[in-house]
Amino acid sequence: MEPTFRKSMAWLHTWAGVVMGSVLFAMFWMGTLSVFDREIDRWMNPGTRLSATLAGQPVKLDGPITDTAMRLAQGSSQWFIRLPSERTPAVELRWRNEASKTFERRYLHPQTGAVLTHTDTLAGTGFIFPFHFNLHIKWKDLGYWLVGLAGMAMLVLVVSGVVIHRKIFVDFFLFRPRKHTQRASLDLHNLTGVLGMPFHFVMALSGLIIFVGIYWPSSYSAAYPEAKDVPAARQAFNKDGYGQYRRAKAGEPGAALASLDAMRAQARQQWQGGEANFIRVWQPGDKASYVELRRSYEDTVTMNLDQLYLDATSGQHLYSFTSAPVMTVQRFISGLHFIQFEHWLLRWLYFLAGLSGCILMATGFIFWLESRRASHAKKGLHGVRVVEALSVASVPGIMAATCVFFIANRLLPLDAVLGGYDRATLEMWAFYLAWLAALAHAGWRGRAAWREQTAALAVLAVLAVALNWVTTGQHLIHTLAGGLWAVAGMDLMLLGAAAIAAVTARHLGRKVASPLRAAAQAKTAPLPELAAAQQTAKGAGNSPRAA
Amino acid sequence: MVLRVLGAIGGGYAFTAAAVAAASAALPLVGMSRSDAVVLAATLGFVLYLLVLLWAFSVRGLVRLWVTLAGATLLATGLTFLAN
Repeated sequence: MEPTFRKSMAWLHTWAGVVMGSVLFAMFWMGTLSVFDREIDRWMNPGTRLSATLAGQPVKLDGPITDTAMRLAQGSSQWFIRLPSERTPAVELRWRNEASKTFERRYLHPQTGAVLTHTDTLAGTGFIFPFHFNLHIKWKDLGYWLVGLAGMAMLVLVVSGVVIHRKIFVDFFLFRPRKHTQRASLDLHNLTGVLGMPFHFVMALSGLIIFVGIYWPSSYSAAYPEAKDVPAARQAFNKDGYGQYRRAKAGEPGAALASLDAMRAQARQQWQGGEANFIRVWQPGDKASYVELRRSYEDTVTMNLDQLYLDATSGQHLYSFTSAPVMTVQRFISGLHFIQFEHWLLRWLYFLAGLSGCILMATGFIFWLESRRASHAKKGLHGVRVVEALSVASVPGIMAATCVFFIANRLLPLDAVLGGYDRATLEMWAFYLAWLAALAHAGWRGRAAWREQTAALAVLAVLAVALNWVTTGQHLIHTLAGGLWAVAGMDLMLLGAAAIAAVTARHLGRKVASPLRAAAQAKTAPLPELAAAQQTAKGAGNSPRAA
Repeated sequence: MVLRVLGAIGGGYAFTAAAVAAASAALPLVGMSRSDAVVLAATLGFVLYLLVLLWAFSVRGLVRLWVTLAGATLLATGLTFLAN
């Protein structure tokens, strides 16, 4: 396209970055938070903040837990239980609400089976995590396709970024934070890009591979030519690839549910010690009721698809499933991405590597803006203004909106309903409205919005921590002493974010005045605009301190 | 530029999807289970699409881009029919 391959790649890197950067930042940000999604769940649903000492104790399903499940799920076509783990101390119970056709959720105490005080919230696993892979845009799977496009763009950005780099090794050791914003942001972009490259590439590729069943409908259409249409082919593929068993309702009442603990023992035997951590009762009470057990992957990278289906009243074996070889490899690659196994050091490294991706996106935006600010101002182009508004809303804006989501969670009363929307939806609205407000503010304030929204982020993060204290009485000393690591960790991260945001806002406050003036000067100055901006920035960057 | 972006993203996807279909149809012929054929073809599809995108944004001449992609798509579609 351009005269040389490298120049073509430079063009591609610039424009793929500018166009997809907003979506990519949102994905990186939500993905990074999703590393600790269950911990966010604890914070946002205080009733489930059980003591960590409960985690290691064996859980018995027969008795109070099953009784509670049957009572709550009365009339439902299915209910299922997720057993507690180190990260989720409570038993999670979900059942289908036949009237609204949605799934209800309650957490039960793992020993007494008591229903824990419930805060209706989507929290980390229900809002932040799905946002990461479908942006909550359900219409025609558009969210998935946008995310897929962004995933491909990320792969393109990584490869083109490597190609346009002549001195990848030297750049790695180069960081000049005291230089003006443009130079410092490029250095930081290169540093996080090179350091995080293997992680970013593997995450983008594995993220795409997780959804093999979505992005290539042509594959199952070709492999299952006898299927009448694409959805039928997809269903046939899903059945073969992921395993599935269904038994029609008999329509007459059956005997009582057999022991679920005995079924778990049966599964343990079949899986040579592997534990079932997901147990679903299909069409409870019916004569053809059956139980689905899924094997835990807490201690392996591969997210196995091992399943066992038993008759609900006799415990008789109905169906078992183990994935085929290539699918098992796919499940390993998925496991690398999902990090569902228990490993705290790796979990923190994923979190940091995810944040490095956020810095990569943000500095990419800043570099693009800074290197065009003066020339666009001179030529009367609006590119910088538009991209600036988008990038401010995408970077500090979405972070601040996330804090608003946390704050709404602490402020809304338990039984909040507004205009027909339930509490969990209202929390989401708070997020989206705050995000929209950030975009409007960024459009109005231009460059100053970076500093103002970063400052807002600092205030909101502290406010979230304070509200957690006020509404639950669980301040940091309490949570640290009581071993409530999820809550303490979340509070500490919020305070850390507030501190970094405050320092950044202060830094921006000192710097922002000078390049603005430079841009204004460049309008009239006959000098090459960039050089002029650099000169002024260098001179003015230090002067307020000296003065 | 519109034709370039459209050709690279849309045309590249059309070709890759056709190639993925051909592989999904062909792999079971050498003994792989159908679901595994789909998973393998789709997984490799992402890598192929990446290469196609990089090529499409660097190749000189729009005609060459479109003709190559159209020809390759036809070829892959033909293979799918043969394999089925």
